[in-house]
Amino acid sequence: MSNTRPVPPMPRISLRSESAAAIVVFAVLALLPLMMGGYVIYVLPQYLIYGVLAMSLGMLWGYAGILSFGQAAFFALGAYAMGLAMKAGFGAGDGYLGLLAAIVVGAGLAFLVGYFLFSAGVRDIYFVLITLALSIMVQQIAISQSSLTGGFNGMYIPRMDLALGPLGRVSLAHDRAIYYLVLPVTVAIYAGLRRLTRSDFGKVLVGIRENEGRTLSLGFDTSWYKTIAFTISGAVACFAGALYGAHAEFVSPSLASVAFSTEVVIWVAIGGRQSLLGALLGGLGVAALSNYLDGLSPVFWQLILGGIFVAVIIAFKGGIAGALGRLVARKDDAHG
Amino acid sequence: MTHETVFHAILSLAIQGTLITFVYALAALGLAVVFGLIGVINMAHGAMITLGAYFTWACLSAGLPFGLAVLVAVAGVGLVGLIVEHALIRHFYDKPFETLLLTWGLFLILTELIKIAFGSDIRTIPTPLPSAIAFLGFHIPEYEALVALLSAALLGAIGLVFYKTSYGIKIRALTQNREVAGLLGLNVAATYKIVFVAGAMLAGLAGALMSPILSIDPTIGNIYLVRSFFVVIVGGIGQLLGGTLAGSFLIGGSQTIFGAFSSQVIAQTIVFALAIVVLRFRPTGVFKEK
Amino acid sequence: MSEKLNSANGVNRRSVLLGSLGAASALGAPAVIRSAYAAAPIKVGVISPLTGAWTVYGKAHSEGFKLAVDEINAAGGVLGRKFEIIMADSKTEPRIVAEQANRLIREEGVDFLAGTFSSAERNAAGPVVTAGNKVLLYPTFYEGQQQKYFPGVCNPNIFMFGPVPSQQVWPHLPYMMKNHGKKFFMVGSDYVWPRVTNAVTKKRLVELGGEVVDEIYIPFNTPQYDSVLSKIRNSGANVIFLSLTGSDTINFRKQFVSAGMKKDFTLWTVDDEEVVTSALGPEASAGTYVSFDYFMSIKQANNDAFLKKFRAKFGQNALMDTVGVAMYNAGHMAAMAIAKTGKVSTDGLRQGLAGLTFDKAPQGSVTMRAIDNQAILPSYLMRVRDHWTGTGDMFEQVQYFPDVTPATASCAHLPLN
Repeated sequence: MSNTRPVPPMPRISLRSESAAAIVVFAVLALLPLMMGGYVIYVLPQYLIYGVLAMSLGMLWGYAGILSFGQAAFFALGAYAMGLAMKAGFGAGDGYLGLLAAIVVGAGLAFLVGYFLFSAGVRDIYFVLITLALSIMVQQIAISQSSLTGGFNGMYIPRMDLALGPLGRVSLAHDRAIYYLVLPVTVAIYAGLRRLTRSDFGKVLVGIRENEGRTLSLGFDTSWYKTIAFTISGAVACFAGALYGAHAEFVSPSLASVAFSTEVVIWVAIGGRQSLLGALLGGLGVAALSNYLDGLSPVFWQLILGGIFVAVIIAFKGGIAGALGRLVARKDDAHG
Repeated sequence: MTHETVFHAILSLAIQGTLITFVYALAALGLAVVFGLIGVINMAHGAMITLGAYFTWACLSAGLPFGLAVLVAVAGVGLVGLIVEHALIRHFYDKPFETLLLTWGLFLILTELIKIAFGSDIRTIPTPLPSAIAFLGFHIPEYEALVALLSAALLGAIGLVFYKTSYGIKIRALTQNREVAGLLGLNVAATYKIVFVAGAMLAGLAGALMSPILSIDPTIGNIYLVRSFFVVIVGGIGQLLGGTLAGSFLIGGSQTIFGAFSSQVIAQTIVFALAIVVLRFRPTGVFKEK
Repeated sequence: MSEKLNSANGVNRRSVLLGSLGAASALGAPAVIRSAYAAAPIKVGVISPLTGAWTVYGKAHSEGFKLAVDEINAAGGVLGRKFEIIMADSKTEPRIVAEQANRLIREEGVDFLAGTFSSAERNAAGPVVTAGNKVLLYPTFYEGQQQKYFPGVCNPNIFMFGPVPSQQVWPHLPYMMKNHGKKFFMVGSDYVWPRVTNAVTKKRLVELGGEVVDEIYIPFNTPQYDSVLSKIRNSGANVIFLSLTGSDTINFRKQFVSAGMKKDFTLWTVDDEEVVTSALGPEASAGTYVSFDYFMSIKQANNDAFLKKFRAKFGQNALMDTVGVAMYNAGHMAAMAIAKTGKVSTDGLRQGLAGLTFDKAPQGSVTMRAIDNQAILPSYLMRVRDHWTGTGDMFEQVQYFPDVTPATASCAHLPLN
């Protein structure tokens, strides 16, 4: 990123309006299953999980300025962790074990890769290309280690039960049950990441994004901060993958593909890389649109998506969220 | 094994390694030129290789001889490069991150346009030289040997341009310092344009020359894309000749060698891991100067 | 053979009869006919790879089913109801298959599903058809059923219309060994289907006194094959047994030809049907052996009739292959099963398909084996003709076995139904 550009002032109003927007979005999502059922309620949790995956990249790219083309690798690892945990046969705790294992695996791998590379000053495009290779490697290994992963043919993941201790177990086989598990988890991750980005830690990340040299000279160990950011991102992506595995009941190596990783980059770019809500809605919205529009005209839809992406990079760096934010800010200025 | 067969096996590996090194170098050269000289990571490089292969196929279908088809394909991809550079890339030269995303968006668009223009049926081109040279008990595929030779000649020619001609030396100055290059009387904008178009033409050439030994489908260039990135990055920025060759050897040649002793998947994984490790310890490439 | 229902007319008459039995008590006969034709269609969800890596196979895949439905509807449908296809694009991605299979079942309310292309795609659909209790008709040649991939296989709701290695390879081993040699070099893509195919082949090959000199598995999207070709050259093998897929098989075969090795080895592929062979062209493909249950070039009355209708609908140059024909058979056999049991339901389909024989299948006769939902199919060994000009003369028949019984599925519970 250019070193000469001044740090853009983050207007307070935009933070407040993002919170308001988030509350509205989550409230609508919370009420939706009461009004409708069927396919929409089945598929929305999946899109919310994509949204969580998008947020894992939004935090990394939007705040720390680190772009990863390897988010799908973590996502797939999480799904495999869930699958293996469900197979391990620990009874009631299987699902929890899967979710926990995903967090540990995702954080662990991201920490190792991040520390190994950031501490040597590997950055920017070099890091992007390494994450690209990471995707390919995870996919190849998943294909070739078929005794563990089922190889190319994939792995069935029985849907976890929600064991509530003395309260018994809730089956997640019903659409609404898993919906009301995924939604609060999404809200919690959103709130947690939001808090993180507004903390001192988040401010250091923004400092790194804008001018790593200056941040370093102010006494911050920037490679450490970047490693932690990548670790958190990896853990969130992997956790999202475990949830996805539970929801889709299936994982195969193509989940780790570069194609899927790059799709995540599109979601975040279009949604708005400097807004977590933008990233979340980008993942949810683009995936949903792809589902519906693809059926009408697959080739042209991909072409349009590519065109929108290029337009975002050229003219609307903040994506949709950024454009809306500017609009709101301008309006408030006029009225205030 | 006797000493003789061991020697034979090693020599055979060396020949394969050399061939594959030069084929990978050819695939990566366009990327190396653009990245090394003007700092643009061209994510659309793979799509440009694909386009080169399709243009060649289209020319052959129209009845042109192979040699001419290759030239037309190179010119065609160069034209696409020129349009892209003029419309988009030139506004973003000081922002490597943005150019990476932009060229990647272009990759998406080009791939879809290829599908619309050429359909998704698999195409192939008959091999112009379908036999092997027998040499001391080795068999070297004629066509691949020709491609490797062309690749070597191309590397040599580019070396001559950059190290022996005054224009080449000025372009290299540009990589070091843009103001100085301007003072030397170099039209910076025009030079950037020339370099980007040259990179596109080299990608087109790679696609055209490799089209007879590949399945031509809308994503065929991608299988060289990530390998090409590693070739360039492991080789080091600006190290056009030695870097590209060293990188190609590490990515292609060493995979051949590892593949002789382990499964192909493991060989590929080791090579990628090795590339990452090289990057970690030599972030500016294997031929670090300073 | 009460299970044989051959003619579309028979289906039609029976369905009208059943329809009148149901309605005659309440309504007069003229009304019956009207209500029969105004009846809601039987909805079939078809999932094909229309975009993505396997787009090129998606055409024959979806067209096979479309043709079957056209024929069924032209004959008046089943039980007085027409078939209606709801298409979905898998984008060659298992995760999209799960999404689309759910959409078809929950939103479109389809009565059953047909399609998915790779084993991974089918396995992704497995949990969905189990949860929704719908039947899935799967068309592709594949590795056979192993319990570890349940519910994508060994699933009472999933019926396999494509051949498994014991059908595709075993019948032709003696011929290949006798005429081309006993030393096999196996090259395959690095995933489950080639590995299982090679294991199954190797077992029988060794029993017959042959030998596998080497086995190499190639990761997807490998551009260069120099080292593999060099190994083959020095292996002393007679036959190269090829199970590479996608663009890799073409890249390999282009480089095999370009290395001048075509005259020194016999190539036997179990992947490269009409689509791949067309792409390779006559020079690169001539002399290669291919084995499958169906080829456009087979000379059979059924196939002649089939191709005539296929070309009339999709053009003279349209390509058909084993997978597309399996989709065609799946469509017809589903209609026959519904007609037989008189029920448009998962149970009705399952009961109807079990043991059902379709003897108008383009490749001969096809029977759905009741015990493991696996089709009993013919098996053809073909040789790619020199200087072929099109799909009609692309392959020359070497030998043919009708009704090849597959090895029994290794499922935990048999019979499945």
